[in-house]
Amino acid sequence: MTGHQDGLRSMLRPVRGRITGGVVLQAVATVASLATFVAIHLLALELLRPEVDRGAVWAVVAFAAGALVVRLVAQAVGYQLMHDADIDFQLAVRRRVAAKLGRVPLGWFGARNSATVKKALADDIEAVHYLVAHALPDLTAAVVMPVSALLLLVVFDWRLTLATLVLLPLFAVLFVATGRRGSRQGERMAGAVAGITRAVVEFVQGIAVIKAFGGRDRADNRFHRAIDDYMVAFSAVKGPILKLSATAYALVSPAAMLLSATAAGTVFVALGLVRPIDVLPFVLLGLALTAPLVVITYGPQAFAAARAAAERVDEVLATAELPEPPVSGSPADSRVEFEHVTFGYQEGAPSLRDVGFVLEPGTVTALVGPSGAGKSTTAALLSRFFDPWEGSIRVGGVDLRDLDAAALYASVSFVFQDAGLVTASIADNIRLGRPDAGDDDVRAAAVAARCHDRITALPRGYDSVVGEDAQLSGGEAQRVAIARALLADAPVLVLDEATAFVDPESEAAIYDALSALVAGRTVLFVAHRLHTVTEADQILVLDAGTLVERGTHAELLTHDGVYRRLWQAAEQQGTPTGGRR
Amino acid sequence: MLRELIRVIGSGEARRIRLHLAAVLWHAVSQGVVFVLLVPLLRALLRGETDAALRWLAALAVAAVVTGVAYYVQALLGFRTAVAATGALYRRLGDHLGDLPLGWFAAVRLGSLTRLATAGVGEVTVVFAHLVGPLITAVATPLTVLVGMAVFDWRPALAMAATVPVLYAAYRWSTRVLAETDADVDAAIGRSNDRILEFAQRQSVLRAFGGGRAHQDRLDEVLVGQHEAGRRQLRRNSLARGLFGGAVQLSVTFVLAVSALLALGDTADVPQFIALAVLVVRFAEPVSALGDLGGSLRTVKARLAQVREILDVPPLPEPGRPRTPAGSRIELVDVRFRYPGSPTDRFLLDGVNAVIPANGVTALVGPSGSGKTTLTRLIARFWDVDSGSVRIGGVDVRELSAADRTALVAPVFQHVYLFEGTIAENVRLGRPDASDEDVAEAARLARVDEIVHRLPDGWDTRVGEGGAALSGGERQRVSLARAILKRAPVVILDEATAALDSVNEAAITDTVRALAGRCTLLVIAHQLSTVVDADRILVLDGGCVRESGTHQELMAVDGLYRRFWSERDRVGGWRLKSG
Repeated sequence: MTGHQDGLRSMLRPVRGRITGGVVLQAVATVASLATFVAIHLLALELLRPEVDRGAVWAVVAFAAGALVVRLVAQAVGYQLMHDADIDFQLAVRRRVAAKLGRVPLGWFGARNSATVKKALADDIEAVHYLVAHALPDLTAAVVMPVSALLLLVVFDWRLTLATLVLLPLFAVLFVATGRRGSRQGERMAGAVAGITRAVVEFVQGIAVIKAFGGRDRADNRFHRAIDDYMVAFSAVKGPILKLSATAYALVSPAAMLLSATAAGTVFVALGLVRPIDVLPFVLLGLALTAPLVVITYGPQAFAAARAAAERVDEVLATAELPEPPVSGSPADSRVEFEHVTFGYQEGAPSLRDVGFVLEPGTVTALVGPSGAGKSTTAALLSRFFDPWEGSIRVGGVDLRDLDAAALYASVSFVFQDAGLVTASIADNIRLGRPDAGDDDVRAAAVAARCHDRITALPRGYDSVVGEDAQLSGGEAQRVAIARALLADAPVLVLDEATAFVDPESEAAIYDALSALVAGRTVLFVAHRLHTVTEADQILVLDAGTLVERGTHAELLTHDGVYRRLWQAAEQQGTPTGGRR
Repeated sequence: MLRELIRVIGSGEARRIRLHLAAVLWHAVSQGVVFVLLVPLLRALLRGETDAALRWLAALAVAAVVTGVAYYVQALLGFRTAVAATGALYRRLGDHLGDLPLGWFAAVRLGSLTRLATAGVGEVTVVFAHLVGPLITAVATPLTVLVGMAVFDWRPALAMAATVPVLYAAYRWSTRVLAETDADVDAAIGRSNDRILEFAQRQSVLRAFGGGRAHQDRLDEVLVGQHEAGRRQLRRNSLARGLFGGAVQLSVTFVLAVSALLALGDTADVPQFIALAVLVVRFAEPVSALGDLGGSLRTVKARLAQVREILDVPPLPEPGRPRTPAGSRIELVDVRFRYPGSPTDRFLLDGVNAVIPANGVTALVGPSGSGKTTLTRLIARFWDVDSGSVRIGGVDVRELSAADRTALVAPVFQHVYLFEGTIAENVRLGRPDASDEDVAEAARLARVDEIVHRLPDGWDTRVGEGGAALSGGERQRVSLARAILKRAPVVILDEATAALDSVNEAAITDTVRALAGRCTLLVIAHQLSTVVDADRILVLDGGCVRESGTHQELMAVDGLYRRFWSERDRVGGWRLKSG
């Protein structure tokens, strides 16, 4: 884990007491679990006396029972403490991450797909949980058990202890050898795993194409080849390792440990070095010396995985937040200025170069240009999804960076292709921008956005929940998004032509809704079809990140430029245009 | 679970699996024998019979070596079985998925299916490497010890045997409790994951509309819900774990107490009782390991059930005696269909009758949700009709062989999937043995030449996973080229609409025009030019074909089509302007 202030480490602080308590109790329970062995030894000593002291025998049984109770209680309480700390910790981490998500620059989300975000938020936190709730107690037991057993045995007889552990060095040698082999071959293994994953993904996601184009055999071959590669790599890499590790574990298995303990014991007794009864502790506790080796040897892998996960979570938490100005400016009006704006998604590869324009209050400006020209990027910058590398963007004379979120979005609102409805009632979706809006306001917005009728036809009307009992088509969702923007009532509006997903009827309704929405606002309109822009007050033509032409439709058609070429292409294609009818 | 495993993995590996199990059993029993041999050995030692002790030690040594060998053998067999089972399960899943109706894929979440088909397979087959051994040992070794103990003295053996049902009941109870709380927690995790994901995906909207605060509260609600579920699980888990662990410990103490009592009453054979006491401990150890294995076992069972569920989906029935189609005319006769598991019992397509003439361009129009895409899916046999029939060249699609069907129909979907590779490779997929001229011709017709020309790497441009490096319209053009190259008699085109700019729109329109007369082309049309140019227009609404004819014919009557057209016309004239 990295050591910065807000990292996971600092979040562990409030639960550290409970974790420590849990570890101590686990240690107590582990020591107590050895009491049964000790009790049997004590019992044997008592029973072998010429005069058996019944009281002493029962005292031993009572000791065993007492140790049992201690163990059960310590284990239960320790487990409870540990997991209790863990779930509190998880809640704290999830809350912190959620809060972080609310403050990182919006562009952060664009640079990651949802799977990555989900991995950091769900899977990785889960992996950290493993570290806190399972790895620590397991490791505690795995260390305390052999150490305390070893101490006891050494106290009994150190020579016999050494003799019992005769196979351990051999295990260590083999184990070190497996570790070396494993780390050398890891890469090949990872490659084979990635190969099969790719093959499966392709097979599952491309299945329709595979079947439709008779590529079944070829895809099958590819798939089967990936499986074969995987199996060969797996056997080649893990097979030899397994032979070593199986031998190693066989050497410290219960049977082997019993053999070395009894063999050493018998020989020692035969040589007269110890009494027969002295062998008993070694037969009883010998196994405890090596049983946790499996945990200890597997542990580091799990630990490494959890740490890597913790680092990813930490990375999210360390993401730089969008700087908020100490005091927010307030825009004088709805005039928008782009001045020498340069911006890109990748360093050294600007998507927009030195773009400058002005949107006068109450006018409609259309952005046109071939795909990849930078239209959507311009729209994203005005919505402050990103900050420009150079230059500035101002609303009402104030730089966007000098506006806090509330002031910014009170001025700028948007409707994008993805309607972006959330799992909440339709009414709550519409009043998202103005939570205090009354039902009448919501209804009025819906009526203006031409979605009122559709909403009232839903099972629970305005209370229907999006994605649950309100299954909306793309066009319907669009109109709800327009209603939302209408109610939010920001003076500057960014529109990404939103009609493409829908059928003609919805399209008509959306256009009606949009007409209601743009009235009186300063509008930046990203157009994908030219015929809708002919009456815009200003058309900006982008090409490869530069603003190449500007003017009205009539002005732009007068000279041979990008716009005229685009217009001619659209004409040829035969989309009905205003000019034709 | 074993039978279930073999069923899922396929009987091809059954022999190998049984062999592995035999080795595991061998190891467990010989380990039990080692434990049991402790009794005579310790007894001889304690009695001072060194010679006898040495003899028993020799026996124990033999048993221990045998156990070691058994351990090695079962570990290797387990590994090989796991590898073989992994391969077999991948193949089985792959083959099965390949035979499923394509419609099935449209209905499942591809993400979770992919995860199941990759990680899930490993999670199932890992049982052979890490779970089967410990599980069988946890049962077979104690039973061997029990039998061995009975040989020496039936009384403590009886006491021990008495604990078995108690242990078994405690185990069953605790696993059941744990499984229940697992489900509860899984559901809570699912809810909070969905909400977090939404919170992340909807950030722009949430912030822009100031709804971040309210939504953060809603998010917090599910996080707290998950926390609560975790607490509930914790309480029951502590109880369940405590109960099983306690039961094991109690059994040991009980048997030891009985042994002590017996030893006190019968002092003649104290050494044997001491030795037996050691054996009691060895009996309990493997049993308590069971408790720790429970969690892994539950995971495997859950995965196994998911894999089973997929394998149980019936594949598309193939005709016993396929018929050969004559021509590429498509007939839809009284077609009725609704999606399996659809909430209403209303048919989405309710008596569709239509003829799609061979080698013409037929446009399918209608409001969203009228079943246009579904109809094309029935023709491509993603699904089978509920009643009625879909015929190509006079033959019901259900009577066509898979190969004929594939050769006959080339669908171009709205959401096009391209394979990781170059543009050239993706186009060539249509007909791998096509000449370069044919590829160039297909590319020209689908206007892929324009894309290739524009991109720096040309034909060798890598399209990225699923084709992510190209725009939606470009992907569809590549996919069209692929379909043209295939020279299928029937081409079904679901015209892309998403973010289509004028250039792509024009390219696709051109392609449709170029294909006219070359094949039977059915287009779900979103562009007016396609509709106007079509040889035949089918207007779908309310589950059946309401009108059909050419543009002129349909405009001549006052019907759905004309109304649709005038609405469209109004839209076509729409201009964004400041109010």
